[in-house]
Amino acid sequence: MPARVATSPRSSVLGRIIRSDNVSGWALVSPGVVLIGIFGLLPVLMSLQLSFQKSDLLTPETPWVGLENYRKLADDPVFVEAIKHTIIYTALFVPGTMLVGLLVAAAMNRSLRFMSVYRTAAYITMAVSTISQGIIFLWLTDRDYGLVNAGLRAVGIPSQSFLASPSQALFVIVAMTIWGWTGFSVIVYLAALQGVPAELHEAAAIDGASAFTRFRTITVPLLGPANLFLLVWLTINALQLFDEVYATTRGGPLRATTVIVYYLWDRAFVHFDAGYAAAMAYALFVVILVITAIQFRLARKHVHSS
Amino acid sequence: MTTTELPDTEGAAPQTLSTDRRPRFRLPFSPWHLVLIPLTFLLIVPLLWMLITSLETEGEANRFPPVLLPERPRFANYSEAWAAAPFGHFFVNSALVTLVVLASNLIVCSLAGYAFARIRFLGRGALFVTLMATLMVPFQVTMIPVFLIVKWFGDNVWAGLGIDHIGALMLPNLATAFGIFFLRQFFQTVPVELEEAARVDGTSRLGVLFKIVLPLSLPAMSTLAALTVLTSWNDFLWPLIVITSQDQMTIPLGLSYFQGAHRVKWPLLMAANVMSLLPMLLVFVGAQRYFVQSVASTGLKG
Amino acid sequence: MAEVEFRDVTRQFPGNIVALKGLNLTVADGEFLILVGPSGCGKSTALRLLAGLDKPTSGEIRIGGTVVNGLAPGQRDIAMVFQNYALYPHMTVYRNLAYGLRQRRTPRAEIERRVRETAELLQIGELLDRKPGQLSGGQRQRVAMGRALVRKPQAFLLDEPLSNLDAKLRNQVRGDLKRLHRELPVTSIYVTHDQVEAMTLGDRLCVMSNGEVQQIGTTDDIYNNPANTFVAAFMGSPPMNLVPAVIRSGILHIGGEAVTMVASPDGPVTVGVRPEHLQLHSTCADGMVPARVDFVEPLGSHVLVTALVDVRGDDLPGASAETRVIVQAPAGTELASGNRIGLAMPPERTYFFDAETGDVRRSRERISL
Repeated sequence: MPARVATSPRSSVLGRIIRSDNVSGWALVSPGVVLIGIFGLLPVLMSLQLSFQKSDLLTPETPWVGLENYRKLADDPVFVEAIKHTIIYTALFVPGTMLVGLLVAAAMNRSLRFMSVYRTAAYITMAVSTISQGIIFLWLTDRDYGLVNAGLRAVGIPSQSFLASPSQALFVIVAMTIWGWTGFSVIVYLAALQGVPAELHEAAAIDGASAFTRFRTITVPLLGPANLFLLVWLTINALQLFDEVYATTRGGPLRATTVIVYYLWDRAFVHFDAGYAAAMAYALFVVILVITAIQFRLARKHVHSS
Repeated sequence: MTTTELPDTEGAAPQTLSTDRRPRFRLPFSPWHLVLIPLTFLLIVPLLWMLITSLETEGEANRFPPVLLPERPRFANYSEAWAAAPFGHFFVNSALVTLVVLASNLIVCSLAGYAFARIRFLGRGALFVTLMATLMVPFQVTMIPVFLIVKWFGDNVWAGLGIDHIGALMLPNLATAFGIFFLRQFFQTVPVELEEAARVDGTSRLGVLFKIVLPLSLPAMSTLAALTVLTSWNDFLWPLIVITSQDQMTIPLGLSYFQGAHRVKWPLLMAANVMSLLPMLLVFVGAQRYFVQSVASTGLKG
Repeated sequence: MAEVEFRDVTRQFPGNIVALKGLNLTVADGEFLILVGPSGCGKSTALRLLAGLDKPTSGEIRIGGTVVNGLAPGQRDIAMVFQNYALYPHMTVYRNLAYGLRQRRTPRAEIERRVRETAELLQIGELLDRKPGQLSGGQRQRVAMGRALVRKPQAFLLDEPLSNLDAKLRNQVRGDLKRLHRELPVTSIYVTHDQVEAMTLGDRLCVMSNGEVQQIGTTDDIYNNPANTFVAAFMGSPPMNLVPAVIRSGILHIGGEAVTMVASPDGPVTVGVRPEHLQLHSTCADGMVPARVDFVEPLGSHVLVTALVDVRGDDLPGASAETRVIVQAPAGTELASGNRIGLAMPPERTYFFDAETGDVRRSRERISL
């Protein structure tokens, strides 16, 4: 005898609709969709529109200027310089952070007493805010009383101006941000290293490989996914450098540390040239997309699947 | 292997096997300590130096060669820093913003994440892709329009949400596409049979979420919470754009203004810095596991 | 000469955990020796000590006469097949096989020759360009074996290499292993918890429990002359029946019933008989052990009857009221639960073990009816 499914006496078309998946699904996602729609999607469109206008953020009149903002961008020497600085910064910061992170993680990938203390010390730079970093490093690299210069003078090297020097400031920021991101990098590499099964090391040892050879031929190749992730994530963040520049040099000295986002912010919120800044932001956006796509394409060839 | 590797307290390691090389002389501890101690010292020396300077007098700080340990720790630096700027406001603002953003994210992203994970509704796929696309857009693209939007809210809805109010710091961050993505991933790993059993018993969709799925999702929620707290607390650019009044500033912004006002008073500045850093550092050390998780799980899933 | 020797090898972990207690074992050149026992018995520990992946707390390990205690794994000229294969996931099969040879600076032509030779032997020749991720479980297992074989080591170490294969594949590979060893008799030490694998593959077996050797011998030795209750119960499926009993005035009593056997000396004793040796009778006559059928499992070629034997009334310390006993009966035996039966124990197949230590008494006692 076929089973009878009990139907609720209050079942009606409306009831079924209310209980349907479509309604419940949309009901649950709506808060998120509304919020992200307003603050995530809408601004993308607004920004595009703004880039074709002249706006100072205060007056409601925003005349249309077409592609003029973009044309100005191409001719803007400060923008070109900002690009240069950003590229130099990225080219140093990304490999630097990855290398430091890998070395520290490799050193910490073993079971030793106090290892949790060592690891906490390595991770903790992640919790330091960018402003705090800036202040600390301003002090550390102070020309007269900074610790770094004290150390240099102790070995006979004269005091350096560091953040006050147009030729050195950007590199100091590189070092500072590498420090700040080390924790992040170590976490990623440590997780990746620990993902390499101990048996692989044992098999390689039995095959006659020394510890260093094992690191080179077994461990490092298996870090492909971690390398790709860090490469992409760090590059995107490097291209968006702002906080640390604001906290230390305000783009100086003599614009030596003006990077793209700093210039952008300066244009938008100091000089109220919002349309121009929006155009710059879009240019940056495109660059980030392109670079990320290139990195993924390159990775396809080199990352090994385990 | 049937037996799991029982760890030696010293020496045994996945990379260096205990029999790789017989050392000529045996140290009472592993040689790796000799590498790790200087290394970690180097990593935290900036923080240590900040701490030391914060306890020095100006005379001691502005000295060459530098004083490595102050004669007597000058705790007055801290009270002076506290008095010199409304740190109380900074903390409260930061705390409020972070808490509201955290609560909002956890709730909104759970609801949405669950719907995307488990409910088949019309347009789900396209909607999800669209939301995720926003992750690719850098903040600089959206910050100007968001400024205008927030200004509109302040002018037309409630001043507390507008320019120069902490509401403006909360509003754009109440939900993130990342949070939805992260929780959706996690919810997909909860065995669907549990949910089906509950629904057969008559539980509603929402009920299943709250009674079955969420209790099982504490690790993922904690991880998302850690990440949200960190980003919210340390956020600088957006507060810089929106806030100008000291009593509405969050800690990073407040610290930056403090720096502007007391530029070369290093001990004072360092004291302010220590006070600003301390909450986040403590939270980090206490919930370290979740912070590590948050990075590791994004990192290795790509 | 590739004889492997453990001399009084002990491995103790912090916290007084002794994984291996004074192992003494010699594996002859070309012998296939199996370390078998339940989880935690120390067999994997012994293998890892031999491989150099772990250091003994005391004792000496020799390979080919040389003491290897201070040598790194790579210097011992041994090869190992891991339970999870441990293939290098980012290298092709070819490079996996070649890795060990490359570490030893073998010339490229020689590597090529040996790899191809080994690949052909294991029938993985077409897989050389693939990566482990693209192979099936059985293929991976063969690559793991190939990686060990290609090195032509003095000794093979195998750590439960079949346990990740499904049953059918396992049987097939077991046969392959036997054939392989016949063609290439390299000294092999094989660890498993599966007693069927142990009995079919090994020249000799070393049965272990709790870090100690229980018995070393051929399959026949171990099966027919178990040294103690552990070995008796561990080897054989279904396991040997062990029943607590008592000898009084030279007569064996089980459950208060006198069984017509004479065995000395007096006192409590554990009696062992294998299921296939117990004889099942539908009525219980003198000299038989009375029992009650619990359930019957037909297996086609024979029937397994699980019966309950009353062991009460013997003043044995800790004796429970009834003991389960399994009897192997011919196919077609029809019995219902609750039926009363009689079990006869053939004298030459009955074992006596010390009730306290479990060690075997002289395995066969004289019986007189």
